Amino acid sequence: MADNPTQQLFDLWKKQTEDAGQAWLKMLGQGQTVDPQAFWRPFMDQNMAAWSKVMTQGTASPDLMAQWKQFLDQWIAAWAKVLEQAMSTEAFAKAMGKQLETFLSAATPAKKAAEQQTEATLSALGVASRSQVVSLAAQLVQVEEKIEGLEDRLDTILKRLTELGATGKTVRA
Amino acid sequence: MKDHLFTMTPEMPGLPPEMQERMQEEMRRNFLRMKHFAEMVMTPKEPEVGPTPREEIYRKNKSRLWRYASKRTVKTPLLFVPNLGISRPYIFDLMHNGSFIEYMTGQGFDFYLLDWGVFGPEDNSLTVEDAVTKILPRLAKKALESSEATEMSVLGYCMGAPLSACFLASQPEFPLKNYINMAGPIDFAHVGLFGTWLDPRFFDVDRYVDTLGTIPADMVKLGFKLLKPTMDLSTNLNLWWNLWNPEYVSGFNALNKWANEYLPFPGEFFRHWVKDFYQQNKLIKGELTMGGRSVRLERISCPVLAVGAKEDNIAPPNCVKPLISVVSSPDREYVELPGGHISLIAGRGASIHCWPKVAAWLAARS
Repeated sequence: MADNPTQQLFDLWKKQTEDAGQAWLKMLGQGQTVDPQAFWRPFMDQNMAAWSKVMTQGTASPDLMAQWKQFLDQWIAAWAKVLEQAMSTEAFAKAMGKQLETFLSAATPAKKAAEQQTEATLSALGVASRSQVVSLAAQLVQVEEKIEGLEDRLDTILKRLTELGATGKTVRA
Repeated sequence: MKDHLFTMTPEMPGLPPEMQERMQEEMRRNFLRMKHFAEMVMTPKEPEVGPTPREEIYRKNKSRLWRYASKRTVKTPLLFVPNLGISRPYIFDLMHNGSFIEYMTGQGFDFYLLDWGVFGPEDNSLTVEDAVTKILPRLAKKALESSEATEMSVLGYCMGAPLSACFLASQPEFPLKNYINMAGPIDFAHVGLFGTWLDPRFFDVDRYVDTLGTIPADMVKLGFKLLKPTMDLSTNLNLWWNLWNPEYVSGFNALNKWANEYLPFPGEFFRHWVKDFYQQNKLIKGELTMGGRSVRLERISCPVLAVGAKEDNIAPPNCVKPLISVVSSPDREYVELPGGHISLIAGRGASIHCWPKVAAWLAARS
């Protein structure tokens, strides 16, 4: 522990955060239900205790702002570490995969129905639909590729002609 | 008026003069914080980005090749290959005195930027192979022609590093002078959180692409925000803390504009990117085939520099460094610099640690 009382508070806070994080990870790993109150309480208690101590240490000074900023930075850093640990678990990846699967299951029929509806509406209005515009754009991309192919061939022919011209000049010389 | 305001604060005899000065300074800063906050909310200004003059050399579908003005005192031109999709490349030329491109052109490099562009639904069939065997070689060829050089250095950043490595490792006839991998994942076994999330046991990429077609920019944004959920909080806290400083505010505005402009992925590209790179790690294993040619990293034999960022959570150092052990170059070096994935190449830290290192390494070999 550091000698500086503010640093001591930070160290204590960090330790508390890490302990709470570990407890949370343990709960996640064991498939237990996370109790939000149990998770948040240590943070809140620690926060209150720390600030009570800071405020009773002496008169408020401009340094208080800097201390508060430093405190928040460390708080965020500790949270980032906890979250990173939690999110790097297989349990989190699995939960996220399930969430995505649920979204896709809902999105597929909704997207299909919306597309059909839009196509029918635009067709009735005599306006080109999104898929027709996309198809046209895709054809343009293909045309561009063919032009590039021709450009390459032309380059090759020109290069050969230049070489032949140079050889001819050499022969004549 | 603004300075006088704070000299009018009453004398506080109980406080030492040093403390009084600091309190006045803090009050001044608070006043400026309020002023700048009001300006940001009431009269927001669109930040000017991309200050370095440039010309378009070539255009292929959505992709562009840009050349940046320089004195060309370094003989070998440099082709910069950034990520495809995700974000716009103006982060590399964000603002005057805060631009990697401006720095490199100032050092005399003939600098070319491959801007992949913004792909739409019509490009959904574009694959990684197309990017590596059609777009990249063509634009690299045009860069060579434009510079009238016989050799070229290539710098791949982020996803641009594995893409350019695939190109160079499958087409060894390209006249490559030097190669730099900057924060580009090579060994995807150590790619961190994304690697865990995209594990085939949990993430069905086929179902994802088949359902969505194009991977929307909002989905990309969600993925990156989730990578560091506290990022917005710390960004805003730092903004508040530095809001008194007009230079910081100006930099924040430019960076914030970029940080909120996410780009979509072409569907097939995303499918192949996730499967071949994240899920099967084919690049380092030498199992990739592109354009009928095998991609063998040991074919890269020119001088190679790999640059990792200590706090990078997108391409952690452990997935960048392995490039050094697989290339066959006798001249190879790995450096690990302070910063994260973005701050490695953009921002004040980059201008101190990264840019001079990269420029010096290249200049000595160009």
